[in-house]
Amino acid sequence: MLQPKLKSKVQCTDLNIGEVTKVVLDPLSHEISHIVVSVNGSGERQVAMGHVQVVTDDLVQLRAPSTEILALPPFKREDYVTTHEVEISHLEDHIHVTPGEVLVPLPDLEKSVKRRTFFMNFTNVIGFLIGLPLAYPILRFLMKPMYAEFDNQWLKVGNVNKIKQADVGVQFKYKKKVKEVYMPEYEIEKNVWILRATPELLDKVYNDKDAEFRDAKGKTIWTNKKDVPYVAFSGKCPHLGCGFKWRQHKTLGQVFLCPCHLSIYGATGRVLDGPAPRGLDALPLKVHASGEVEVIDMEFKAGTKLQVRIV
Amino acid sequence: MNIKQSAPTTVHNPHQPSAVEKLVAFLDERMGLKEMQAKMLNEPLPGGSRWAYVFGSVLLFIFAMQALTGMLLMFYYVPTADHAYDSTQYIIHEVDYGWFLLSYHFWGSSAMVVCVFAHMSQVFLWGAYKKPRELLWLVGLALLGIVITFGFTGYLLPWDQRAFWATLVGVEILDKAPLVGDFIARFLKGGPTPGQMTLSRFFVLHVMILPAALMALAGLHIFLFRVAAPAGPFKGTVEEIKAKTDYFFPRQIWKDIVGMAFVFVGICALALWEPVVLLDKATPDPGEYHPEPEWYFLFYFQLLRLKLFAGQLGQFIGAVALPVVFMVLLVALPFMDKDPERNIFKRPIALISWIAIMVVIVLFTVAAVINREFLD
Ligand code: HEM
Ligand code: FES
Repeated sequence: MLQPKLKSKVQCTDLNIGEVTKVVLDPLSHEISHIVVSVNGSGERQVAMGHVQVVTDDLVQLRAPSTEILALPPFKREDYVTTHEVEISHLEDHIHVTPGEVLVPLPDLEKSVKRRTFFMNFTNVIGFLIGLPLAYPILRFLMKPMYAEFDNQWLKVGNVNKIKQADVGVQFKYKKKVKEVYMPEYEIEKNVWILRATPELLDKVYNDKDAEFRDAKGKTIWTNKKDVPYVAFSGKCPHLGCGFKWRQHKTLGQVFLCPCHLSIYGATGRVLDGPAPRGLDALPLKVHASGEVEVIDMEFKAGTKLQVRIV
Repeated sequence: MNIKQSAPTTVHNPHQPSAVEKLVAFLDERMGLKEMQAKMLNEPLPGGSRWAYVFGSVLLFIFAMQALTGMLLMFYYVPTADHAYDSTQYIIHEVDYGWFLLSYHFWGSSAMVVCVFAHMSQVFLWGAYKKPRELLWLVGLALLGIVITFGFTGYLLPWDQRAFWATLVGVEILDKAPLVGDFIARFLKGGPTPGQMTLSRFFVLHVMILPAALMALAGLHIFLFRVAAPAGPFKGTVEEIKAKTDYFFPRQIWKDIVGMAFVFVGICALALWEPVVLLDKATPDPGEYHPEPEWYFLFYFQLLRLKLFAGQLGQFIGAVALPVVFMVLLVALPFMDKDPERNIFKRPIALISWIAIMVVIVLFTVAAVINREFLD
């Protein structure tokens, strides 16, 4: 069935009673649920679509006699809002209540434009070409500070005469000078754990092999000799990078304990318990006759089974 | 308008428009204000207003307040490694009401996380993510990511021990992503280790990029919501729902504003009772401080302590695979769940999953709190 149009005449079984002035939409089905008929000379009536028998181009034929329609209560405009005042999306999409199309003329210049798709694509391509050469510079701009050369300087961290007992972790704090981008050089606090090791512990740490430290090209930077009775561990937990402590544990005795996710390492640096994927990271260490200790401040990526140096 | 033309004999004029009415008429003529207002307020809510629907609006309110307090904090805060801590202390101890604005901003971020969680739970339990609201759900997930990133980046800004260590561990977790992890971690840190560049980057994210992204996506979210129309209740016949339908104004707006007032008072109370106190200035040595993330990340932090996630593989599972799989499931949810049934009591898998997630979060948060004592 056609949709009733505005201004269509409304015909009852007996006579023509007026014309359609408004239509009412159902907010859920988005269909026309009622028409509003302006009855010749006696106000408006709201007529449900159920009463409508046929709709033609300019006529709405009702099933009821005019007396029945006139007996309906008058239409109450204040019970409704217009579709401009309510937000129900797509409400009007398939309703064609206006008599015919409503048009505006196309400007003359627009008529001669043939290749619309071409111009649309052309615009997009130019936009893309503006963006493209920016992408790489922006990336490089942001990447500037990300990678830095390793620094293999020896740093003085203190004197081993501070260590009173063998096989016990002692924390040494030291300052490291760093230079970040344009900023003046400044000092940050770092720490390293040093143990004076008994021969048994040394055996376990070194497995009878000297420990070599190499740079990226494989060149040896330093070798920790297996008979030097001191071991130094980086203060960074190899699990996810927190700082750990030397603590008494209920069953495991004296251990390195990391409070973050509770990784536990023995004096050898091996993992005894917890989530850490590898043992503590031993650092290159030099002990002078005076007892002065120096280390190379290396930092390794946390969370990997193998050591990956990042500083 | 024909007052001037009317005959001088008409002394009695029934209605002279006031200055305000004239101004409104002026603006309305140029902007279509009245129609716009009508459209905004006259949005049918199938099945009527509900308290359960307040969370989205409350989130917008919290965000507006975060923007306001955040802009004020920026008048004094200096985002450099040598001044961030001192400028924050200055805000807390010297600037009039600085402690309050900072504490409001701090607790506001917690409120935001709680409300996002409540809002997500509501739309999940109501089955509101189902067709035709898939995109709405996806944009919602992007907003969730933004809210979490807000928390993570904001946490570093005071540059105290808490800030520094939470960030360090957080970035190490990102580093564990395959292929791109190292790049992302260095990109965020602006170097191999955290320092000034990290602070600059987090600052720019926190005060520029994330707010812009949140505004854009929240706009899209609400647009999509309006296009799709509210989902309404998950049970009831068409007639029942139609009978209870009303517009956004006034009943839902009333509920929303009460929700906002409630959240406002709650945040103020927390700011008064538990104002922000900084720990020592950040250093790469934690000293006696036991690093811990913000409370809403605690359950995940405790999860990573599990034996299950030990070792490199376990770590990969816990720090990368688990969150990624969880996110992928959330993204896929509206596309996998094609069943139009929205009643949560007829969707046992959905209900059980939601309860299970709640239980895990609560249990692990409690475990993390209990663990604190065991550490000292
Ligand atoms: C900053 C974060 C967010 C803001 C400001 C926000 C805002 C809103 C607002 C104002 C509404 C309208 C009605 C209501 O409150 O229920 C809404 C609806 C919705 N939101 Fe969000 N939202 C956010 C995050 C999310 C998230 C994380 C999700 C899910 C992943 C989500 C999914 C939805 C869905 C599915 C609806 C439709 C609900 C319905 O039709 O009943 N939103 N949101
Ligand atoms: S960072 Fe040490 S256990 Fe996780």
